[in-house]
Amino acid sequence: MDLENQKRVKEYSEQFGPENLVVILGAAEGEAAGLAAETVTAGDPTYAGPLAGVSLGLKVYHICEPEMKDEVDAAVYDEQVGMMEMVLDVDEIVKEMSAIREQYTKY
Amino acid sequence: MAILEGKKVVIIGDRDGIPGQAIAECVVTAGADVVFSSTECFV
Amino acid sequence: MSKSAVIKGTSYVLVHTPEFVIHNGTTQTTERLVNPDSTYLAALPNHIRSYEDAVAYPPNQVFLGSKKPEILSGIEMPWCNTKLEDAKRFGTYGELMPEDEFYGLVAICDVFDLVILETDFAAMVKEKLAGHPLIGEDLISRIRDGISRDNIETYVKEEHGEPLFHKGAMVGYVKRAHDIDETLSAHVLFENLVYKASSVLALLHLIKNTDINKGDIDYVIDCSEEACGDMNQRGGGNFAKAAAEIAGFVNATGSDTRSFCAGPAHAIVEAAALVKAGAYKNVVVFAGGTTAKLGMNGKDHVKKELPILEDVLGGFAVLIGQNDGINPEIDLSLIGRHTVGTGSSPQAVISALVTEPLDRSGLSITDIGKYAAEMQNPDVTKPAGAGDVPESNYKMIAALAVKQGVIERTAIPDFVAKHGMPGFAPTQGHIPSGVPYLGFAREDILEGRIDKAMIIGKGSLFLGRMTNLFDGVSFVVRKNRGDATGDGTSEAVSDTSVKKPVIGIAAEDSELGSDVVAEGIALAEKRGFIVKRIEGVDCHKKMDELLAGKGIDACLTMHYSFPIGVSTVGRVVTPGRGKEMFIATTTGTSSADRVEGLVKNAIFGIIAAKASGVKEPTVGIANIDGARQAEAALLRLRDGGYDIRFANSARRDGGVVMRGNDLLAASADVMVTDPLTGNLLMKLFSAFTTGGNYESTGFGYGPGIGENFDKLILILSRASGAPVIANGVEYAAQLVENDWKTIAKDEFAKAKEAGLASILGEIKERSKSSDKNTDTSTAETEAEVAMPPKEVVTAEIHGIEVMDIEDAAVSLWKKGVYAETGMGCTGPVVLVHPDKEEHARNLLAEGGYIHQ
Repeated sequence: MDLENQKRVKEYSEQFGPENLVVILGAAEGEAAGLAAETVTAGDPTYAGPLAGVSLGLKVYHICEPEMKDEVDAAVYDEQVGMMEMVLDVDEIVKEMSAIREQYTKY
Repeated sequence: MAILEGKKVVIIGDRDGIPGQAIAECVVTAGADVVFSSTECFV
Repeated sequence: MSKSAVIKGTSYVLVHTPEFVIHNGTTQTTERLVNPDSTYLAALPNHIRSYEDAVAYPPNQVFLGSKKPEILSGIEMPWCNTKLEDAKRFGTYGELMPEDEFYGLVAICDVFDLVILETDFAAMVKEKLAGHPLIGEDLISRIRDGISRDNIETYVKEEHGEPLFHKGAMVGYVKRAHDIDETLSAHVLFENLVYKASSVLALLHLIKNTDINKGDIDYVIDCSEEACGDMNQRGGGNFAKAAAEIAGFVNATGSDTRSFCAGPAHAIVEAAALVKAGAYKNVVVFAGGTTAKLGMNGKDHVKKELPILEDVLGGFAVLIGQNDGINPEIDLSLIGRHTVGTGSSPQAVISALVTEPLDRSGLSITDIGKYAAEMQNPDVTKPAGAGDVPESNYKMIAALAVKQGVIERTAIPDFVAKHGMPGFAPTQGHIPSGVPYLGFAREDILEGRIDKAMIIGKGSLFLGRMTNLFDGVSFVVRKNRGDATGDGTSEAVSDTSVKKPVIGIAAEDSELGSDVVAEGIALAEKRGFIVKRIEGVDCHKKMDELLAGKGIDACLTMHYSFPIGVSTVGRVVTPGRGKEMFIATTTGTSSADRVEGLVKNAIFGIIAAKASGVKEPTVGIANIDGARQAEAALLRLRDGGYDIRFANSARRDGGVVMRGNDLLAASADVMVTDPLTGNLLMKLFSAFTTGGNYESTGFGYGPGIGENFDKLILILSRASGAPVIANGVEYAAQLVENDWKTIAKDEFAKAKEAGLASILGEIKERSKSSDKNTDTSTAETEAEVAMPPKEVVTAEIHGIEVMDIEDAAVSLWKKGVYAETGMGCTGPVVLVHPDKEEHARNLLAEGGYIHQ
């Protein structure tokens, strides 16, 4: 994950409390989604950014996951994301995200 | 319990997946407060 | 003709820059700052590819145009595991330049003494560049002598210079241009100089690929993502003019267009509009490569045990010019635009760029043959978690088609395969953005594989932190609609009941300049003839296509390789009486046998004269070697019943053999001669009033005539002046109007009936027996050697004796190399496929046909 984005995540987690913060991803692939999710939960696996060795354990979802789809307005979702459901490998994304959450999310 | 309602949300979108702005449009309808939204670009 | 701008040609270049990956790519420079002892930096040097591997990398060969994108579908990923054996540095559209030569080009592009090279390195680079086909001494002399390595190290340390490395050693440095101004720091200047140098390389290849005169380019648009300026005007510009200056476009002005990766698409739309509006005639849109993005996804590549795949800079250039009736048009009525109000959802973006413009014109998504959005090489992006970018774009377009009900959801994969292609461009931001397909699109449209292609540019404006907006623009390139229509609005079409022949002119090589050709065309048009100019390096290919497709009825050109058996009949105005005379023949070769050739030339001359309206042409034979034997053969032909009227010499002793005086007086309508003598006569008759280098009178070298040769191609000289070009058009139009094809057919049939075959057979037999040496060597005939599979032959091999030309071709067939024979402008040639030229040359040298 981009260094600036890691910095922001860290700052907001401190500011609002990690239990009040949710990170939503839009990654194009399962693997990339998993890496980003890992960064905001277990810490930066590439040890390059401010979250290296920092386990925030934040709640993290990909916007294409069913939990998100259930909560947002269906018409807006269809307009903003609908088409990409046909393009992205949603199953793969869900699999990666669930695995990371089970392992590292604390909230 | 809702995941998004009343929560602060940080969005890390992807230019080749779902961009940050599109995600933001969605999550505000669930009652979340978007504190930061960005879009990454790998290409 | 519509005023739509057309795509006249493209160039694509790559530069292998392994050291820039290590020292300049931002992933690496960032890592060095935040994590200097990282395992990534330690492992990086072991993942750098050699130059040869970069050349043999399949996507690179596709980018250079040597291979079609489709071949990638047949190669298992990761593609870097496959090394193409026939890969070459120079491809159809450009080259992959090695790092050392590129440093030389960077030094050439430096006009402020900022680039300092080490002494030996500078000398080595100069020597290497001297062998480059497009970089001349004028450019090489711009590289200054170097300084010692010790001095370089001192300057780098004390003056904040940016060190330059090659193969691990420091070979120079770039100076900073200001002590405080960050925008003029050595780092930024190096980045900008690299950008400029890769741009110049693309421009030089564009000139070669389009054959346009540098002076004819009047506007240049740079569309990269770089910025040049100083601290008071950080993005002042103008890269476009800076590169044009080095490339030698003295008559060009220009400007820079920016919109992240959408820049190229915007720039091409702007260029097309400028041309269509008439503001400029020839606009070049170009971009070079960026050091910052080198090794951008390197961490993932190293982690996955792959080589660093982002080790090349990319560059491209496109020439956009006025409608020539041939090249694909840029249809400005089909522009897709992402507006401020469009929003950023992928669906909104793709709808705005793809379906909105098509809907406006009543077209369906499936009416576009090929789409090209972001052509990033998936070999690079997939291991980095960014997926297959072109494929997801195609899926998005397919998904829209599903939403519109144009295709079924299950048909998405088929749509992606049919309307898309694998990505092959380096991840250099603006470089992969739609434009890499333009070269192929032009070919696909010219060769009729598709009618329309849509090029889509998308840009991530939000990265600049000035807006959260996305950006995008698309345009459609379509088959040229020719004379009849212009942007959907039809213009006056000439009355078909009095259909005049359309005469093409493919005269790209004029020594007298493009203006003289234009002047000749204007003169012909003033006389009421319809002329279509055919331009570009591939003008002969276009000419053949137009002739085959009846887009033109005849064509005038310079240098055409007629097959043996075809030669041209010139037409001059003789000074003695101001009378017209046909010179048979002037280029090409009717036969490898001199006397047989003269006999055939007489028939060719009669055909040309009759088809030009001379009902009963008289024939004389120039007093040259073989004239008497030809006379005897023609007399036998007449005795056999062929209606041939012999001329009588104006000299007191008369006769059919013509003296020099008869040439001046045009004692015969058709003057028979061998083509070399005929060619000489043409030049004398055409240029004797001008002092030599401007051929001002006569009708040119005339049509290629031969049995079963049914294309009407007339030859001009590179020194043909405007009046000759106009007369050539007249000559061509007459031949078409008088139905030359039927006249030729009739004459050949009559000559055959009169026993031509047996007469020629006897002539050949006689000359063979007079040259005993040839008996054994020509024993092998074509029939005994199996013909290899036919292929396109465009590479000419010169220097073979005309008597040996057929044997030379057969000797290649025997070795499995398909070859044809023909007549080049300086003599007979063997034609082979360009890829096999070197091999064929070696074989011919072994066989003693040529000297290497």
